[in-house]
Amino acid sequence: MRGKAFNWSQLRKSVQLLFLVLWLVLWTTTASITWGVAAARLPVELSPLLALAQAIASRTLTVGMLLSLAIIGLTLVIGRAWCGWVCPIGTLLDFFPFRSRIKARKPISDSWRAGKYLILTAILLAALFGNLTLILLDPITLWVRIMTGGIGPALNTAFTGFERLLSNIPWMNSTLMWLDQALRPEIFPLGVVGARYVWLPTLILIGMIALNILAERFWCRYLCPLGGLLGLISRIALFKRKVDGDCLACTRCESACPTGTIDPDRGYASDPAECTLCMDCLRSCPTSHIKFSPDWRPSGKMVYDPGRRQVLLTGAITLTGLAVLETKPAEGKGSNFLLRPPGAENEDLLSKCVRCGLCMRTCPTGALQTSISESGLEGVFTPAFIPRTGYCLYTCNQCGSICPVQAILPLSLEEKHAWVIGEAFIDENRCIPWADGTTCIVCEEMCPLPEKAITLEDRAIINPDGSTFTLKLPHVNRNKCIGCGICEYKCPRSGESAIRVHRI
Amino acid sequence: MKEISRRKALKVILAGSTAIAATPLLAACQRAAEDLTQGSSPSITNTPFGAVTDTPVAETPGDSTEVPATLPDLVVARNAEPESLVQAALTAIGGMERFVPRGGWVIIKPNICTCYYPYEYATTTNPWVVGALVKLCFEAGAGKVQVMDYPFGGSADQAYQSSGIGEQVEANGGEMVQMAYFKFKEVKIENALGLRSAEIYEDVFSADTVIDVPIAKHHGMSRLTLGMKNLMGLITNREQIHRDFGNRLTDLATKIRPKLTVVDAVRILTDNGPTGGNLADVKKLDTLIVSPDIVAADSYAATLFGLQPEDLDYIRVGAKSGLGRSDLGGLNIREINLAG
Repeated sequence: MRGKAFNWSQLRKSVQLLFLVLWLVLWTTTASITWGVAAARLPVELSPLLALAQAIASRTLTVGMLLSLAIIGLTLVIGRAWCGWVCPIGTLLDFFPFRSRIKARKPISDSWRAGKYLILTAILLAALFGNLTLILLDPITLWVRIMTGGIGPALNTAFTGFERLLSNIPWMNSTLMWLDQALRPEIFPLGVVGARYVWLPTLILIGMIALNILAERFWCRYLCPLGGLLGLISRIALFKRKVDGDCLACTRCESACPTGTIDPDRGYASDPAECTLCMDCLRSCPTSHIKFSPDWRPSGKMVYDPGRRQVLLTGAITLTGLAVLETKPAEGKGSNFLLRPPGAENEDLLSKCVRCGLCMRTCPTGALQTSISESGLEGVFTPAFIPRTGYCLYTCNQCGSICPVQAILPLSLEEKHAWVIGEAFIDENRCIPWADGTTCIVCEEMCPLPEKAITLEDRAIINPDGSTFTLKLPHVNRNKCIGCGICEYKCPRSGESAIRVHRI
Repeated sequence: MKEISRRKALKVILAGSTAIAATPLLAACQRAAEDLTQGSSPSITNTPFGAVTDTPVAETPGDSTEVPATLPDLVVARNAEPESLVQAALTAIGGMERFVPRGGWVIIKPNICTCYYPYEYATTTNPWVVGALVKLCFEAGAGKVQVMDYPFGGSADQAYQSSGIGEQVEANGGEMVQMAYFKFKEVKIENALGLRSAEIYEDVFSADTVIDVPIAKHHGMSRLTLGMKNLMGLITNREQIHRDFGNRLTDLATKIRPKLTVVDAVRILTDNGPTGGNLADVKKLDTLIVSPDIVAADSYAATLFGLQPEDLDYIRVGAKSGLGRSDLGGLNIREINLAG
């Protein structure tokens, strides 16, 4: 056997692991922007699908997103190597091959492979109409999402519980304190312990892994829209896999292939649009009849490539879907409490935001949260500012500075101080001094403006016994309030705050 | 090879989901453990603050008979750089040795309430005042000097940096500590006027000395935030204090007993406090007030704003309940003018 040839599989696995660590580190350091804005944005800027769909939907070209041309260039030379070597979702899925389970099943029909092209079609067509709802299927978006909205907060909660438990052991005290100072706030920011909808990204991850039971890398083969885009480009890639005529037809490469694209009926040839250049077939081949060599000719059409009818049907479904999503009352679109980050306008945001969630990872107070109910189906995964979970820190503009597509504008602090997110309104039926007649000035105390937007009115109260005292009643000054929401966050009334920031 | 990776993966999932699922369990364990500690050793929560020391210390005004008669109850230093004010005031009050045992653990609690502004805005304690105190603690033989606050605007990390306090403390060999949320433990307050329990940072009961270093500034409800109010940075359920403020703040101050209160009035904030942000509200007084009596220190500080001690709820209640003295006329006050 010539198994002693260069071990490509081992190299690939090492590279995948290395990239996974890099993705993790980039995601982690986003919280405090430890390595600067460029590093934090890098993952999103690498995805050509995000770049393309975002440019179409927003009708603007963001310079940073041109970085994704590097991935297109890479694909033009060696095909979908991104999928096999770099993509964090691909690497995660490789941890769960479920091979023995798959063997027992009837293989999934190849016609499913058209799925990713059809999803890609739907995304790009919707983008043409300014809609980016489906962009959340981009693997980079999914990666940041799953980490920011699912795994990250869950680990944070686990770490918090662990700390609480150990804090009862006196001799652990100094070790625990050291651990806490070392890991917070960079790795486990305190502000996002209470993230909303943590179950959703977590379920998405579990679902993607579960699909691996049906077929290895099910997501990459049949669904991934970025895989579809890179697959299209791979057809004209320079390097392609070739099997020469002396092949023994031993079928080993066929069963080694994680994307199942090696076809015995075509002399063990593969489709470059499906091949992730994992090199497992090279390793499995007892001879040396498999080569990856330059070939200028584009690959031919496959039977499962989507036909005209499928594309037209997808287009019709997409347009119908868009019409449904866009149908809403002309007035009062969305919730009265749908607040957006400073520097984002609601309508703009929907056609600019790539749903990546970097803003939520970097928000130091946990004010930015996944919106689902507030903005409707169309705005699923867009950032919403929820003052009761966190306030917008007066001297922070990290969300805008980090947003790779300027869906949140990069405001200077001066601009941010003047940006009106919403306006606070006091509910006098719930406000402690107004409703209960007892002292509370927390909202006034917390208001960060140099000239406070909340003022206190002194009112003499005469008790039944004739004695008097002065009650301080808070008022919001409409011309000053910028809706930072610290009053709503800190309001001691339990449950819903007695002062709430409304959209204006 | 493949099977190993699957097994590994399963382990990771199992461990991860167990950890997540276990969190409510852990919380329950913690509650149980807390009940246990409170049940079996009430001494932890009941220990009078700072009792573990063998140096002569005036912990409460009641102890003042033990202090040599020549030492003043309160020292005011004026008209010099912050470090010189600290040096002069501490010397006059009997030296830092009076408050810090050799090898002792000192916690300094400045007011670092937000990360919004640098020290010129008078919203956070002057960094050189804090730095000089750290230095004096070490010169008095302290083993460990920690400085901490729990800001309500921004993270501790950011506030330590923006206030400039982090830099001065570290330059003098002190340690900035980010207060860990798990160290806030519920403490019962006996004979409370209004606040029956509070979640207090447990280290303040373990340390040998706590030094309270507020900046004197305006506050919407209590009119001024000074030494007593600065103690609120050591608890978590702060919003609860705002009802029935005078009584509850006095309760808190009977539980957390700083051996020394240093009121920074190098710059004072006269309006739009406690958050500030307007330089027009800042007045430079170059003044520092030092006293082992927290009520006395606050009382004197009130006069800097043209107020009488009785104008402030918590001073009234504090004096009445015997926490300290507000009768400035009856106190032995030493005024030092360092000008020229």
